Amino acid sequence: MVLQYLTEAVFTVLSPLNLLVLTLAVGSGLIMGMLPGLSATMAIALLTGLTYNFPTQTALISLLGVYVGSISGGCQSAILLNIPGTPASAATAMDGFPMAKKGDGGHAIFIATTASMLGTLLSVIFVLTLTPFLTSMALKFASWEFFLLSIFGIMICGALTSAGNALKGWISGILGLLVAMIGLDTVDTFARFSFGNVNLMSNIQLIPVMIGLFGFPEIVRAFKKENEGSPIKVSKFQPKRGFRSVFHNWLAIIRSSLIGVMVGIIPGVGEDTGGWLSYWASKSQSKNPESFGEGNELGVISAEAGNNACIGGALIPVLSLAVPGSAPAAVLLAAFLMHGYRPGPLLMTESPSFIYSVSIYIIAASLAMWLLAMIIARGTVRILGIKKKLLMPIIFLLCVIGSYLINYNRFDVKVMFVFGLIGLALSSADFPAAPFLLGVILGPMADSNLRRGLRLSDGSFLPMFQRPICIFFLIIIIGMIFTQLGVFSKLKKARS
Amino acid sequence: MKKTLAIFVVLLLALGFCFAQGATEDTYPNKTINLTVPYGAGGTTDLTARALANAMGEKLGTTINVVNTPGAGGSAGSLNVQNAKVDGYTMLANGMLAFTTMPINGYTDKTYRDWDIWIATFAPNAIIVPKNSPYNTIEDLIHAIQQNPGKITAGTAGIGSGGHFGAEVMKAIAGAPYKHITYAGGAPALTATLAGEVDFCPQLLAEYKDLIISGDVKCLATLSDTDIELAPGVVVKSILHSYPEAKKFVPMGEVTGILIPKGMSEANLEKIDAAFNYAVKDQAFLDFAALKSFSVIPKDRAESQKFLDSFASKACYLMYDAGAVTIDPAKFGITR
Repeated sequence: MVLQYLTEAVFTVLSPLNLLVLTLAVGSGLIMGMLPGLSATMAIALLTGLTYNFPTQTALISLLGVYVGSISGGCQSAILLNIPGTPASAATAMDGFPMAKKGDGGHAIFIATTASMLGTLLSVIFVLTLTPFLTSMALKFASWEFFLLSIFGIMICGALTSAGNALKGWISGILGLLVAMIGLDTVDTFARFSFGNVNLMSNIQLIPVMIGLFGFPEIVRAFKKENEGSPIKVSKFQPKRGFRSVFHNWLAIIRSSLIGVMVGIIPGVGEDTGGWLSYWASKSQSKNPESFGEGNELGVISAEAGNNACIGGALIPVLSLAVPGSAPAAVLLAAFLMHGYRPGPLLMTESPSFIYSVSIYIIAASLAMWLLAMIIARGTVRILGIKKKLLMPIIFLLCVIGSYLINYNRFDVKVMFVFGLIGLALSSADFPAAPFLLGVILGPMADSNLRRGLRLSDGSFLPMFQRPICIFFLIIIIGMIFTQLGVFSKLKKARS
Repeated sequence: MKKTLAIFVVLLLALGFCFAQGATEDTYPNKTINLTVPYGAGGTTDLTARALANAMGEKLGTTINVVNTPGAGGSAGSLNVQNAKVDGYTMLANGMLAFTTMPINGYTDKTYRDWDIWIATFAPNAIIVPKNSPYNTIEDLIHAIQQNPGKITAGTAGIGSGGHFGAEVMKAIAGAPYKHITYAGGAPALTATLAGEVDFCPQLLAEYKDLIISGDVKCLATLSDTDIELAPGVVVKSILHSYPEAKKFVPMGEVTGILIPKGMSEANLEKIDAAFNYAVKDQAFLDFAALKSFSVIPKDRAESQKFLDSFASKACYLMYDAGAVTIDPAKFGITR
């Protein structure tokens, strides 16, 4: 029965029309992912309306294709320009951009894309085999767990991105958390720090913040120093070397995919966090963690496998509970409903073939993504060869357009400008921007869940120390603070 | 390289011209209509709007684009439409609970009387509890609220959401308060109920219909005035069986429709009337409503206003009496 569903799905994909749609969808997804400002959520939302009148299977193929493409495309701009195309690929820039600066840009894109593909494929295997079990895992997360998870994510990101001084990363993360407090809060619908401004009341939009924080410093840097703006040598693709790198790091790929799937399942946290957590796991397992951030292949591989594995993870609660695990998955859920499917507990009895066709379509999309990304990358690596002074004005234009397109609101362009200036100030004072961004992403989650937890417990913090998953997070968070601040080594010294 | 740059610039300019194309004044409608949904894609309002938009567009001979502008509990998108030019190319699809309570929330001074409204669907509330909850009947839950005032938790999608109204009905029946726990939307509130973080969830039946059928949650009652059969053998009882005195609150639920600020010419309004009447009989729309257990209750402009007179009064005073808002509905001519 299962085999029949799978082969049926394979034949559906292989029909000429669907192959064409798949190629177009993945290709446009890749390009949207590459451009800062056009995120995966937006790509799917745009396509959802367009596919309303498509045949159902074709619509599903195009939607999943765009999802896979846009999550994977972000790595190219992260590696080549140090400006992540989507918030999900911020972790990829950590080691990807240093690799490109060394002249290894082509190689970095090759391994990033291959890791993306493998991460997606592995996550599909989890969808097919472990959906019921993983769903029950997702339900273990309640308010206190969500609060600690978001704090944990920001702490990790802060420690990873600040070379040597974790405090700077954490300060940046806390600033991001503060920005997330602007607007109507989700607990009492109270307007905070909005000064009666309707635009501020509807919260600070994420994408303009990202574009400003990452784009501005790069643009200014290109004009600041002569040598910084000079073109970088473009390396050729070396598939043999690329495959060898990926093969050597098979354990990291499996570990990152596992982490990605787990992060994807948890509702509310998605690709952005998945990349950072798997990067952190690889760094702490590594024999020479100091090479991370300097252009370590493993960093790129882990971040990309991790964020792509979220795709499968995020689909698991959509399919089993009709509760999406990430923002793009939420839009995808809407699209499924629109095409007459009812994801949720009745899915397996009502349309048993659905889960298998979705899996096959994702597999097809990730293979198509790999091929197309390789073709596109041959063109995009040349960007490195362009003089930065010619390139950056175009990037700047894209930044403005990208911010505007999110809500067709000119206020977002102003937001992008303000955060561009903040990004400049941060980068010139050596504060990393990535924790700031993650603070803005996870801030609402940390805030509302802490207050919800306190309301449930009548103001007592005790439940936070009584739940197993919370204790696990607390131990890691406190351990991380102590190691980063050097408490353990100081204790050792004091004893001897 | 210069060549590539030149091509790029030309393409950008061409793109600009595409956007700059002005529409010439002709018979309505002669261009794409934007239907604003003030919530994210995939929610109940959004799906209802899309099903309606598709059929209405067919009749009007144009495309109706659904634009999602979430933010500020649905008021941001609604205010956008209210402030836009009234030319029939900007419409709103909204739930009437959030919409009619906008003035008493202080978002605007205009009420539902300043809009032309076409009501399409009604979706009742339903009270659900986790699978392993100690409460098996609606009486169990009401007794628990009476015995532990302010201790029993209700998970809803926020203040002024459909679930909040459902919870307020429970409070009115029990005569004792519950503890309101708000989530960022219906889906997180439902997840919290599945995980057992809250004692009950009073959101809309449509949001967890499938989970009731599969037995993942227990449904104690619906706030509809009749029993509802979700699937063969799965019947959700009306709350009136246990508490007939709840008659003045039920049917409680979300009513969804299409809205345009007043000011369009009667001739153009009649075109929308016709498109609306066509859409609510459209098979795809009816299938969607059946799938979600909505009742299709099409009302024309005059009927909608009449319906909203009593609906807005119920909704506004429930909020006002609960202390959720401080602005007196009477200020806007909304009487009890």
